Amino acid sequence: MMGQPDPSTVRLTPAGQAEFDSFSPDKDPTLRCLMPGIPLGLVDPYPIEIVQQEHQILILYEHFHQVRRIFMDGREAPDHWLPSYIGYSTGEWDGDTLVIRTTHMHPDNYMWTAGFPFSGDENTYVIERWWREGDVLRFTGEVHDPTYYEEPYVVNGLWNYAPDGEIWEYECIPEFGGIE
Amino acid sequence: MKQLATLGLSASLVLLAGLPAAAHHNGATYFDTSTTIEHSGATVVEYAIVNPHGRLSYTFTDADGNEQEWSAELASANNLRRRGLGGEIFKPGDQLVSVSGNPSRSGANFMRLESAEFADGTVANFSGPNRGIIPGPGREAL
Repeated sequence: MMGQPDPSTVRLTPAGQAEFDSFSPDKDPTLRCLMPGIPLGLVDPYPIEIVQQEHQILILYEHFHQVRRIFMDGREAPDHWLPSYIGYSTGEWDGDTLVIRTTHMHPDNYMWTAGFPFSGDENTYVIERWWREGDVLRFTGEVHDPTYYEEPYVVNGLWNYAPDGEIWEYECIPEFGGIE
Repeated sequence: MKQLATLGLSASLVLLAGLPAAAHHNGATYFDTSTTIEHSGATVVEYAIVNPHGRLSYTFTDADGNEQEWSAELASANNLRRRGLGGEIFKPGDQLVSVSGNPSRSGANFMRLESAEFADGTVANFSGPNRGIIPGPGREAL
């Protein structure tokens, strides 16, 4: 299934179910003009640009002007690194597949706005795998959140190569979040 | 250096999502997507092309003769612009034959807009894969 998983297949822990049951739209960061980050922004409907350098891969998002830095030089998150919506990402190649590990994600986020929560505690991490098939870039993302989920929450997606694609500005006004 | 692209050093490639724009928000969380309501004889107050969601504000007179003020949520400004729905489609004071959408679960005078029809038969369609302007017989394509 593309995008988010079939909700009927998601297995929440009791703590996760309690969060699901208390979901409120105003907990969605994007409706307050905060970036979706990771994991909410793993599946994103706006264009992205990928820039590859020796020491890092940059993903530049139209959506909320997000920037992801995926460090490819073996470094690890420094001790002082604070939780953030975009998290801290490191990557390595497994054959022709880019494997990204993301930690330090913000607890004030959601897995998916259908009400699926995300704890953002110290045990959460995301493993993404990206690989290219011609002009299509495919990815899977496994979100590990054992506090709220019995097993990893898995998303899938694809990106189409767009040589004439454009990245636009994404200004945002919280009063238009639509929480009424 | 391995490359996601095969374009040389510091390669850059722009990619478009292979998912519908509606993939970001689950509208059923906020709106009753099983129900469509229609307001006839609406007058446009404002058409705001804004992120994270655009908004059409309008008034109409209900069956009891009372004027009601409503607003309808739209897709994001960026999405509207890519679909040709980002221009001055609606101007304050425009008369609309009807406005249709999914009502808010909160009970407020708020809906998720599906479509709006002008007197010349032009329809501004905001839902589904055919989002965009469908010109009526009396109007050239906007």
